[in-house]
Amino acid sequence: MAEPAVGDTILRMQGIVKDFQGVRALDGVDFELRAGEVHALIGENGAGKSTLMNVLAGRFRDYEGRIELFGSEVRLTNPRQALALGIGVIYQELSVLPNLTVAENILLGHEPPGRLPGTLDRAALIAQAKAVVDELGFDLPLDAPVGSLSHARQCLVEIAHALRKDVRVLVFDEPTAALGAEDVAKLFAVIRDLKARGLGVVYISHRLAELPQIGDRVTVLRDGKVVGTRDVADSRVSLLSEMMLGRRLAEMFPPKRNQPGKPLLRVEGLTRSGAFEDVSFELREGEILGLAGLVGSGRTEIARAILGADKARGRCEIEGRWIPPRSPRRAMAMGLGMIQEDRKRDGAIAGLSVAQNLGLSVLDRLAGPLGFLAPRWLRDHARQGIERFSIVPPDPLKEMQLLSGGNQQKVILGRCLAPDPKVLLFDEPTQGVDVGTKAQIYRMMMDLACQGKGIVLVSSELIELVELCDRILVLRDGRLVKELPGPGTDVDTLVCECVHGNG
Amino acid sequence: MSPDNRRSAIGNWQSRLLSFRVIQSASVFLLMLALCVYAAATKPTFLTWQNLVINLLTKASCLGIIACGMTFVMIAGGFDLSVGSTTAACSVVTVLMLQPLAPHGAWVAIPLAILATLLVGILLGSANGALISYVGVNPFVVTLSTMFVFRGLAMIITSGGLSIQVPVALKEGAFRKIYWGQVNLFGSPTHQATIPILVFLAVFLVSVYLLRFTRFGHYVYAVGGNENAAWLAGINTSLVKAATYAICGLTCAISAIIFSSITGTTQAASHEGLELIVIASVIVGGTPLGGGSGSLFLTLNGLLLLSVIENLMGQFRVDEKYRKIVQGFIILVVVAVDGFVRRTRARQRR
Repeated sequence: MAEPAVGDTILRMQGIVKDFQGVRALDGVDFELRAGEVHALIGENGAGKSTLMNVLAGRFRDYEGRIELFGSEVRLTNPRQALALGIGVIYQELSVLPNLTVAENILLGHEPPGRLPGTLDRAALIAQAKAVVDELGFDLPLDAPVGSLSHARQCLVEIAHALRKDVRVLVFDEPTAALGAEDVAKLFAVIRDLKARGLGVVYISHRLAELPQIGDRVTVLRDGKVVGTRDVADSRVSLLSEMMLGRRLAEMFPPKRNQPGKPLLRVEGLTRSGAFEDVSFELREGEILGLAGLVGSGRTEIARAILGADKARGRCEIEGRWIPPRSPRRAMAMGLGMIQEDRKRDGAIAGLSVAQNLGLSVLDRLAGPLGFLAPRWLRDHARQGIERFSIVPPDPLKEMQLLSGGNQQKVILGRCLAPDPKVLLFDEPTQGVDVGTKAQIYRMMMDLACQGKGIVLVSSELIELVELCDRILVLRDGRLVKELPGPGTDVDTLVCECVHGNG
Repeated sequence: MSPDNRRSAIGNWQSRLLSFRVIQSASVFLLMLALCVYAAATKPTFLTWQNLVINLLTKASCLGIIACGMTFVMIAGGFDLSVGSTTAACSVVTVLMLQPLAPHGAWVAIPLAILATLLVGILLGSANGALISYVGVNPFVVTLSTMFVFRGLAMIITSGGLSIQVPVALKEGAFRKIYWGQVNLFGSPTHQATIPILVFLAVFLVSVYLLRFTRFGHYVYAVGGNENAAWLAGINTSLVKAATYAICGLTCAISAIIFSSITGTTQAASHEGLELIVIASVIVGGTPLGGGSGSLFLTLNGLLLLSVIENLMGQFRVDEKYRKIVQGFIILVVVAVDGFVRRTRARQRR
């Protein structure tokens, strides 16, 4: 196999089709990768990005279509074969073993044997690991247990593990999802270096803001089909958003008709060391206020601190009344409500019914004397919620985990809105929901604003911020650096502000 | 209800009927029935009122009262290893209270002793709850240590673990009735229910009411289902968790009173291993470790299966040393089948 030159196409996937129990996840996808390029693969959750890369990693036997690697056709049916052919994948959830040392992790599965059978040659292990790390130019303590390293450095260990073999195609599956801003920059430097060494890098993401920093070409997937492949340099972020959503933005976002009124929420000098510092702002009645920034800039942490879910110094007030810290319960009693970013961990109670999930926030109100609560009262309350939010299936007794992501989100919205809060903190409210539900959530937010509620919107989808918000606060490294008006700001300006501030 | 709604309700009912969880609890029930049929056919002594009600159900009731409390704890995602020690400590308190109170007559002594015991039960349970909820130590570790501490306390108040007795007048009089007392059913003197069965029924019904028909019950399920999400939804999760342990302590106290009435004697070393049978009943019934689902009816189901097996081994005179092995295997098999079913179901959903 001749060494491919930079710019040669090393991977060609054609007409890839993959079904999951009758549901078509990939529908005739074509994808190409050149040596020495970073090819971004973007799309909404469920668009098929990860499935496509799992085909490439040899995780499925039953896909249709052609895969050509270095000019010869291959059929990838197991992960070991894919690895042997030079395909490495770094998954979002790292597979390092925290109790083993860096050297042991890098050579996991290929430890040099010692003299006695079943033993291990430690000196050779360290030497070989050092060779791998030095070649990559990583600075890693070989003797340290991996669990003691930061997430970004664990990521480097995983990369070193993947690159120990002769890997020519490296896939990153949403690597920045759990990284702070500094770590993201480090990771990008490593990716650029890998690219310079002639590797083909596939970079999966649904964060458009990152693309200009790292990508050469970008392929957009939607509903298992390729919408298009373009050069990053001449693609505006707003255009890519439209490609991802598959609708004209005007159809998605309702026209603005809210009028901000008097002050509702006041945040003063909110500080949590390591997350954000000296954050102050005011939210008014009927206002939608956006918090923009890269991952790790402190957006979610600020919202959680206002709710009292995390400790923080500083002062938050609703209509002049101080919100006590460390008690979401009391904050809610004062008229605060929050939609959490991680629906599975912090929102849905998977094993309980829709009715139980919906009613959780208002059981006090629903229950009679001595806490008596007839199952029918709960069901009736749920029926109202199901109707108001058009939840499918309209069955109050359905287990939460059997609902689609979008419908789960509607249930959680229903739970949040049931006590009729005045101030709403929405952290990534449209993450992992279908386009139809997205449009519905946007309309609902606009309605709430028109009713005089104040909304703080945290979102990685900058298009949401620009289209919905009255004002946008830009955060970098935990500090508020700029305030932009929502109307009239375009996405591309906002991207620049989030990244380096000289846009 | 519109026709559409009704159809979906029926569809839902069918899917529920066929769900694995139902199959699992049905299989526990059927296994118990099969054992009963076999025993009835081979042992004429099995299918008698004396054996089934006076013997089997009365014994099961004493454990069942605690199993109700344990169900609260486990649905909320907790665990209580200290119930054996709590019961021992409570029974010691009952007897110690009766000793000085006996001269005042049964109608003064017994209610006061019962009241004191119930308070001690709630106190010990709350101690567990407070340590778990407010200090934030793992329930397994907390109740493992209180298991030793409570028994140690019982030893201290009985001067180093001496066996203590209820005063003779009560022991052979009113106090004895708590376990041995019987009530005629259907006006027939041959069909009698024992006091422990009636107490168990009362505890069971109150528990069902609390879990299914109150706000508190919904909170218990929510905390077990996803404690983090429940906290963020504005629930006082610490209080809910602590309350389940207090309830569990209370049920231990109720059982302790009944247990100490059996012979009228008790000691600090009594009721060892009780926690394991109680936890086994809850788990075999189908309430998962980790909580979030389960019910008292499932616990009753598990309790009856284990009690029938215990009774059968007595009927067939199985050697004591093999009984433990059989019990151990039953728990293992039921839980393994449950785990297998759960995995299959998760895979199908994916």
